[in-house]
Formats: sequence, C-alpha cells, structure tokens
Amino acid sequence: MTQKIIYMDNAAATRLDEAVFEAMKPCYFENYAVATSEFGYSQGLEARETLAEARASIASALGAAPEEFIFTSGNTESSNLALKGVAKALGNKKGKHLIVSKIEDFPVLQSARSLEKQGFEVDYLEVDDLGFVKLDQLEALLRPDTILVSVQHANHEIGTVQDLETIGRLCSEKNVLFHTDATHTFTRLPLDVRRIKVDLITVSAHTIHGPKGIGGLYVRRGTSLEKIADGGFQEFDLRAGIENIPGAVGFAKAVSLVTEEENARLKVMRDRLIEQVITKIPLVTLNGDPEKRIPQNANLSFHHVEGESITLHLDMYGIAVSTGSACFSRSLEASHVMMAIGGDHERAHGSIRFTFSRYNTMEEIDLVVETLANIVENLRRISPLGKQGGV
Amino acid sequence: MSEIKVDVRGETCPIPLVEMRKALRKASDGDIIEIMGTHPASLKEIPMAANALKVKIISEEQQGEVWTIKLQK
Repeated sequence: MTQKIIYMDNAAATRLDEAVFEAMKPCYFENYAVATSEFGYSQGLEARETLAEARASIASALGAAPEEFIFTSGNTESSNLALKGVAKALGNKKGKHLIVSKIEDFPVLQSARSLEKQGFEVDYLEVDDLGFVKLDQLEALLRPDTILVSVQHANHEIGTVQDLETIGRLCSEKNVLFHTDATHTFTRLPLDVRRIKVDLITVSAHTIHGPKGIGGLYVRRGTSLEKIADGGFQEFDLRAGIENIPGAVGFAKAVSLVTEEENARLKVMRDRLIEQVITKIPLVTLNGDPEKRIPQNANLSFHHVEGESITLHLDMYGIAVSTGSACFSRSLEASHVMMAIGGDHERAHGSIRFTFSRYNTMEEIDLVVETLANIVENLRRISPLGKQGGV
Repeated sequence: MSEIKVDVRGETCPIPLVEMRKALRKASDGDIIEIMGTHPASLKEIPMAANALKVKIISEEQQGEVWTIKLQK
C-alpha cells in the first residue's frame, strides 16, 4: 500500500499546516515555561502573554472578548463543560431540563445522557429529512425550568447548517442558555456572537489544520457555568490544569490561516464531487441540504451497497473516507444522524462521507469519483439488487 | 517466506475483507496468505481487492460451501 494517499476524512482529523508547526515550535524549545502570575519569573510572564495573544486572536474570530474564551483539550471537553457546567451551576437553582437535538455529535449526546442518569430531564429535538431541527418543536419544548438548549452549528456527518439566529432568539426570549457545537463550522462559516444570541460555543483546532488536543469554549460574559474538573484556577477558574500553550498558539495560527478564498475553493470541490457522483453513478442519494451545508462536506448514500465495503475498497486505492454504517462493531447499529433524518437502514449503511481540506485538489476529486464509480459498479454486480448475502 | 492462514468461515461482509487486509499488512513481500471462508460475496470481493492492491492471486478453490483463496504479497 505505497500509493499516494487521498485523504478525504478531514472532519475526523486534518493534516497539520507547516506554518502552525513552526508557530508552535518556540513554545517547546525556547520558552516552555508555564504561564505564571505577575509575581513569577520572566519566562512565565512571557508564556502568559503568548497565551493571552492566542486567546485574543481566536476570540476575535468569534466577535468575542478575550476573557470570554477558554482553552480546553478539544471539542469533547468543551461540550462536556458546556452541558455539565451549566447543569452544575443551575441544576439546583433554575431547573433540571435540557433540550438537545437528536443529531448532535457524541460529546453533546453522551453528556446529555450522563446528566439524565443524574436526575436531569432531557428532550431530544427532532430534525426533518434534511437534518434541520424542528423549530416549532423547540419552541413548544422550552419551559421555565429549561436551563440549556444545545444545537450544533452544522452536522458532523451530513453537513446541514442550522439556523442559529432563530434558535438563539427563541432561547433568549425564554431566558434559556444556548450552546452550539461549532467544531465543523468554526472559520468555515461566519459565526459572530455580537449578531447571534448564543451563550456557549464549542470549537476545536483539529478540523482546521491545527494540532490535536486543543479546543476552546466561548462563554458569554455572565453565563452561569461551573468547572467540572477540580484543580488549579486556570482559564478564569473554569478549566483547571496546566495550559497547553503550544496548542493555543497553534490553534490561533490555524485560525489565522483560513481564508474566504479557501472556503470558496472547498465549496467548489464539494459541489463538483456531488455533481459528478450523481451524474456518473446510478441510485445515489445526497444526504443533507444541497445549499445550507458546510463547504467541506459531501455525504452520499449508495443504494444496495454497504458503506464499509466501499470504504475498504477505496482504501485499497489509497483513498480515505468514512461511512455512517457500523458493521465493524458487529452491532449493526447505523448512524444516529442518518436514522434521525428518516433514512432507512439501507440508506444509512450505504452512506459515505467525504470531507475536504486545504490539501485536496480538483484532480483528486475526479480520481475519487472515477475509482468510486468502478467500485460501486463491481460491488453491485457481486450483490445484485435484493440478493441474499450481499456485501 | 511464510504462509499466513486466515480462517473467516462463517463470517460475512465486510469481515473477510478486513481480515485479508490485516493479514496483508502483517505479511512480508513474498509471503503467501491463504484465506478460507464461506460467504459467497467475499469470494468475488477478495480477488477484486487483491487486483486493486496489485497482489498476486495464486489460486481460488471451492469445496462445497467452503472456498479458499491463496494470495502472494
């Protein structure tokens, strides 16, 4: 397996940008001190300033003040802190009711389930067949004891972008905190806290050519939130533990490298892949909305074929993608996102997610479509429609 | 040069292909991989994958429900 790799699973992880690595290097070899108080040594003060600069730079990308942004270890921790931190702060004061969408990524979904075990009540908001949350249902579910609504900015699998403006307004009118997981939209789509009434935002560096192990949580000034891991008093006493300064610097650099031109280029690649696949391969369904989707995501279901078979065969050609199917676990449990948008098991098991990055090219798109067309045709030949024991 | 045996009898897609890939990753150049299975679609799918990987197919045999594919890395 020595052929050139075509990596199209950038929602899972991205290649680090060299410029990010270069920006991080001095934090490992030159000034590796921990950020200290004003009474500490100079290297510590310098480290503190470096961290503050990174924080201010990322916060400004959200239209936020520096003190409204805390660093975490990534989107999993950020979403855990948002849900559990609000529950801890308001559970005994305001109420024990939360609302999350059915198609959230696992950090939000599992945090909600964990809170249910602790006596909180969670309503799971339904979505339509394109993945948009049902706003009338949200409005009906909001109660005086609702402490938090969590709806992702865009879906990690099908890429559908939610109407955060309306959701934020609905929550704000009822005085309910609103958290959004923006792991897959931060820097790819505009998100400004001066315009959108959102109180907590999860972001991560690993999806934008930044390092793994660093993310952040925007916390609007005055938001009721308590830290969930005990230790030191770092990050405005909301997140204990030594600061990951190299990570923070790398994250800030990664944010600064994303441009509108790049996002436009990703959208062109996305649309070309979707258009080419639908033209060249029969029996394909696009999952998610054709327009209101993140620029770097295409998700398609190939009928009468298992997603795993496609991913395995693409891998043989050095092409990396992911699937909403889950036969590997032998549980036969399909993607909760695909099932929530009304997909049957076949549509879920035949779904393939392509996510693009700075390092993909149009030539790669064409090569992937060509390879995919051959694989799907061959797999369908092996497993004719409705035949038992298919792949 | 050694011979690696992969027994996927009773397993269905995509397990035989996964096990084939696992064996190929472990094998050294020239090693023989013998895969024994029962899932009919895998009998067609494994050679298809072997061609993609430019791995030599030495033989394909079927006895009753059980098929055996020999590959050389």
